[in-house]
Amino acid sequence: MIRVFNFFCIALMGLSILALYDVSEKTRLTRVDLDKTRHAIAQEQGQISVLETDWARVAGPERVATLAQSKLGLDNTSAVQLSSFEQLPRNGEDSPLSQSPLRNANAEAPAQ
Amino acid sequence: MKEGATIFQRRIVIGAAMCVAAFALVVVRLVDVTVFHAAQRRSVAANIASYRTDLVDRNGQILARDIPVQDLYARPHAFWDTAYAAHALAQAAGVGEPALLKKFTQAKKPYVFVARALTPDGQDRVMHAGLPGLEFQPGYKRYYPDGRATAQVLGVTGLDDDGETIGLSGLEMGLDPKLRDGEPGQSVALSIDMRVQYILAHEVEASRNEFSAKQAGGLVLDVRTGEVLGMVSLPDFDPNARTLGTGDTEHNLVGQDVFELGSVFKIFSFTLATEDHKMRPDEILPIGNGYKIGRFTIHEAEHMPATLAARDVLALSSNIGTTQIALRSGPQRQREFLERMGLLNAIHTELPEARRPQFPVHWGQVETATVSFGHGISVSPLAFAAAAAAIVNGGRKIVPTFLKHPEDGRGEQLIKPETSEKMRDLLRYVVTNGTGKKADVPGYDVGGKTGSAQKARIGGHGYEHKLVTSFCAVFPVHDPRYLVFVVLDEPHGTKQTFGFALAGYTAAPLAGRVISRIAPILGVPQHQDPIVVARGTP
Repeated sequence: MIRVFNFFCIALMGLSILALYDVSEKTRLTRVDLDKTRHAIAQEQGQISVLETDWARVAGPERVATLAQSKLGLDNTSAVQLSSFEQLPRNGEDSPLSQSPLRNANAEAPAQ
Repeated sequence: MKEGATIFQRRIVIGAAMCVAAFALVVVRLVDVTVFHAAQRRSVAANIASYRTDLVDRNGQILARDIPVQDLYARPHAFWDTAYAAHALAQAAGVGEPALLKKFTQAKKPYVFVARALTPDGQDRVMHAGLPGLEFQPGYKRYYPDGRATAQVLGVTGLDDDGETIGLSGLEMGLDPKLRDGEPGQSVALSIDMRVQYILAHEVEASRNEFSAKQAGGLVLDVRTGEVLGMVSLPDFDPNARTLGTGDTEHNLVGQDVFELGSVFKIFSFTLATEDHKMRPDEILPIGNGYKIGRFTIHEAEHMPATLAARDVLALSSNIGTTQIALRSGPQRQREFLERMGLLNAIHTELPEARRPQFPVHWGQVETATVSFGHGISVSPLAFAAAAAAIVNGGRKIVPTFLKHPEDGRGEQLIKPETSEKMRDLLRYVVTNGTGKKADVPGYDVGGKTGSAQKARIGGHGYEHKLVTSFCAVFPVHDPRYLVFVVLDEPHGTKQTFGFALAGYTAAPLAGRVISRIAPILGVPQHQDPIVVARGTP
């Protein structure tokens, strides 16, 4: 009886060793995969970083201004041509320029 | 009776001894490799630079970032033919062949550094050389997407003796402790607004070319928070190149240099007189053809009327009138006041290279007169701007900063708020009725003061017939938010300026153009009354 029990224990130990080895090997392989994935993420992040930097270069004001002037014929706007939302008339209101000297000046111009 | 060991037992003992000796050898070698030669093994790893934190502008746009690159190392003892390896690597990596060969032949360490920051193309070329004993170490290269536009402010980085990246100039140096050992994704937000920086750089360069100036610079300062929104100094340099090009310099005119700024300094003389109730803007002062102090005579830069109201003394920039006003306060009070305004001490900001101001050791009547119109005292444009900002922002001290700090940064009350208000009126008067007319921008109330200083002779007494012209502008003048300071070193008059190179013709229009472009971007409210538009219509 004791021999059977001993054999059973040894067999169990052997199976445990095999199972442990299997788990350990799977863990090792998973760790290798994890390292590869981490490396790939780091590489992608590096590439994203380079792309962001390149975007900052190509979308910089100097380049945009040069392109806007050469390709679209745009130029700097005079400050008086610009306004703000606060100065725009609300629905139903008269334009701020409707009673302004600008309109009056135009109306009076032919008479001068 | 004990018998001696048999030959069999002796063989076992000898075998065991050999095993012990073999294991002992392994142990000795292990200790040798892991303990005594650990430093050599780490020599390559030690050269891997740590990540340096990004610099971004106030809106989050990248100004400086470490981008991943590969550094190339070689193990010379692995080469079959050292000369051939040096030749092949020199061509592939773009480095000097003789220096590389010398490194290979005289190598004391197992690894020799070959080239830094190889691009993927360069890495491919090296791999195609088919040499053994090469090793690529990932590293970082500091890249500045805006190149020259921010070079003088940001500065550059380099390597110290331990192979660590450190700031060598500009904010890279001033903020070095904050930037070291960062993580990708971390950033330090600067006060710089890239839109403002670009406009300032563009306009300053245009003016420098128009007036053939030796150097030019400018800065935009928030008078409430102390934030520097833009700073430009020309000539500049390409921070992404390893060497300076012809005519390039790393010298920052606005942050580093000190100048005799000339008449723009009259702002302080009038502030002092207003603060001490020594002057009324409408009082009449005699001007004449010269004002004698001891053996010296003060002259005007331009012809002036026989008498001027005090406000016109500032508006037309009369040296004689300003001298009379300054002498009412006296040397001691003038010196105390300028010291209180921070003009007699080096300014401390995140820029590390500030020079100390220069001023008279003996501060008598003559010195009071010359200092009143900005001669005999040299300060940096940045220090000047900080002091001028305190005058218009309600009279409270600000410390300029290059870090984003949108909260009100005004501190100690330096002058009375009423004095500040009176000075804002006077500065507006200079632009509407005086030498600063060309700085006015329709729709925005600009106030300011011109400055045309003769350059002092280098290493000697007296002055040259060369000018440093400047303009200090604030807008909107009755509730100031921003200060624009521009300076041109040795500008030359043109046909359009009738040959004049004074600040009213050179620096004032430059400040006006900068304001007209940055004010809408910065959301400064325009003049509500459109009558200004109508005036412009014939």
